[in-house]
Amino acid sequence: MSNAQLSVRDLEVRFPTSRGVVEAVNGVSFDLERGQMLGIVGESGSGKSVTAKTLMNLLPRTAEISGDIHFDGEDVRAIASGHRKHFWGVKMTMVFQDPMTSLNPVKRCGEQISETLRYHLGMSREAALKRSIDLLEQVGIPEPARRVKQYPHELSGGLRQRVVIAMALACEPELLIADEPTTAVDVTVQKRLLDLLDELRRDRGMSMILITHDLGVARGRCDEVAVMYAGRLVERAETEVLFSDARHPYTTALLRTIPRIDQPSHTRLVPIEGRPPELVNPPDQCSFAPRCRHAQADCLEGVPTLTNLDGNREFACRYPANTEAGRTSFFANEAAGQTVTGLTIAQPSEVN
Amino acid sequence: MAKFLLRRVVQLVAVLLAVTFLAFSALNFLGDPLVNVVGPLAAIPDCDLVEAGLREDTFSTAGNIGDCEVVSRARAQYNLDKSVPERYVRWVGDLLTGDLGSSFQTGLPVSEIVREKMPKSLLLMVMAEIVALAIAIPVGVLAAYRAGRRLDRVTSVGSFGLLSVPNFALGVILLQVFALRNRLLPASFDDSTLWTRLHSLLLPSIVLGLGIAASYQRLLRTDLLTTLQEDFVNMARAKGMPDRHVMVRHALRPSLFSLITLFGLNTGALIGGSLVVERIFSIPGIGSEIVTAVIRDDFPVVLGAVVVIATGFVVINFLVDLLYTWLDPRVRVS
Repeated sequence: MSNAQLSVRDLEVRFPTSRGVVEAVNGVSFDLERGQMLGIVGESGSGKSVTAKTLMNLLPRTAEISGDIHFDGEDVRAIASGHRKHFWGVKMTMVFQDPMTSLNPVKRCGEQISETLRYHLGMSREAALKRSIDLLEQVGIPEPARRVKQYPHELSGGLRQRVVIAMALACEPELLIADEPTTAVDVTVQKRLLDLLDELRRDRGMSMILITHDLGVARGRCDEVAVMYAGRLVERAETEVLFSDARHPYTTALLRTIPRIDQPSHTRLVPIEGRPPELVNPPDQCSFAPRCRHAQADCLEGVPTLTNLDGNREFACRYPANTEAGRTSFFANEAAGQTVTGLTIAQPSEVN
Repeated sequence: MAKFLLRRVVQLVAVLLAVTFLAFSALNFLGDPLVNVVGPLAAIPDCDLVEAGLREDTFSTAGNIGDCEVVSRARAQYNLDKSVPERYVRWVGDLLTGDLGSSFQTGLPVSEIVREKMPKSLLLMVMAEIVALAIAIPVGVLAAYRAGRRLDRVTSVGSFGLLSVPNFALGVILLQVFALRNRLLPASFDDSTLWTRLHSLLLPSIVLGLGIAASYQRLLRTDLLTTLQEDFVNMARAKGMPDRHVMVRHALRPSLFSLITLFGLNTGALIGGSLVVERIFSIPGIGSEIVTAVIRDDFPVVLGAVVVIATGFVVINFLVDLLYTWLDPRVRVS
């Protein structure tokens, strides 16, 4: 339909387990334009990593996948079942959360980078090694010629993640999926790595999907942010719009959990009450309703659909925040002291 | 490295002393070595007294005066007139000069017996391990790659089947099928050339190797399944490396630990297995020699074999430790 580089339609991923079918991803659709950066935000178990792994064809065989994924007009799921070479790693690649475990402990760093070059681009061993040294230099690793001969355990976490990034970028991919790329490293290293990724992305005109549980990481880097909750996309908007004028109560709740520089110090951060829902046989209702301060009786009847407003934003909520309906429902719940699902609203808090 | 090596040598010496001392004492408590040298003559009462000229009347039933000389010569030759601890110390002293004593049965030096028989057994064991690894590694990798699917289930059943068949049964069956009925492979050992040696040891090494292959395969499959959960495997796949490359170049090496540990520990079982297999395929190896020696209480031969086997065990496990450092560079640091 669109000329988007990556187009995901109605993606569903289910895992049959002994306790029942886990509905990990449920009807996720989004587009990514070439050169854009999309942030996918959500807490653990929201389905963001499963979505990424589906795109990368990394799910175990037991996963039941449906829906369409197209990259540059090519059907990605058909590539997965066929024997097309040189797609992943060349067109689309991924960086994982933990640099401590995403490098093979028994192979030298240089070898791990150059094997991709040799396989995909047919380079000779020497040329690939030379290129690996260049790549390490590009990601800001000092003494790259020495590093290629080292094993991963001889490097610090920050350096290792740089090696992983160099490895992912080796074949000049068009789309990079970064799954919580900075969660496992020190805060001081986080920003530098994110800036590095941003810079490399701009230089190469590469598209990127940044998966994170930290809205603060997405802000100022992503063109667009998609919020996932319990396997569903609940809100998607341009980054600035999302931060200034979020609609879904889950998004506003997430925003309240991050400290902000424009608020007075010692402003209390508000945690989200309750726990994420079970993904086995979820009831036919808005999955956030039990934790939502806006929840009304009809929130428990049927899953709200994503509504698209003027093409720039969509959200799945009947009583969205920052709207008249949302305010009314919230005040009604506050007056009653609790919501329809029994969530108590203890302290009077800011209107949203 | 030098320190590592030195520690290993000390360990080897300690193991050898302990094992041989135990074997030496056990053999001496179980029976009078003299019986094994001179047979019933050992029962001649008071031979010493006769020698001393104190008794002259006891020969009529047990033997004659000449037998006494045989007995005393045997005692002197094998140091049997000394106490057990003293004999052990002497034996260790001889061992240090490379002298393992002589067989009670044949009088041949034990070192010569070992030199003659050991290479055949060693060749059999090496071939068996090669057969085992050559089967277990590819099958284990395939089973892990196709985990839960038909190939995996078939190989699992096959492995459990092989593990539950004792190797004498397997030996007899394979001997029947491949050597006696179809004559594809020789049924007994042929020492004429290197080629005939390898050729005639092929079937025995398969018999010996199959059971080991089954346990190796099970271990490797399990370890591979664990490794395949690792992020670096996902990373390798995300880089678009083909499945075969991911399995062999990324997952295999970090999954070999249990397998090589078992490889080291298996040495003992392998020697035990080779006793049986050598019998079935009439291989004149050290195994057959040990069986004969144990049955006939031929102490020097049994002790010689114990020394050789214990040394082999310690050396193999030393090599396994070296392999660990090759498998995982992290071991090298610590």
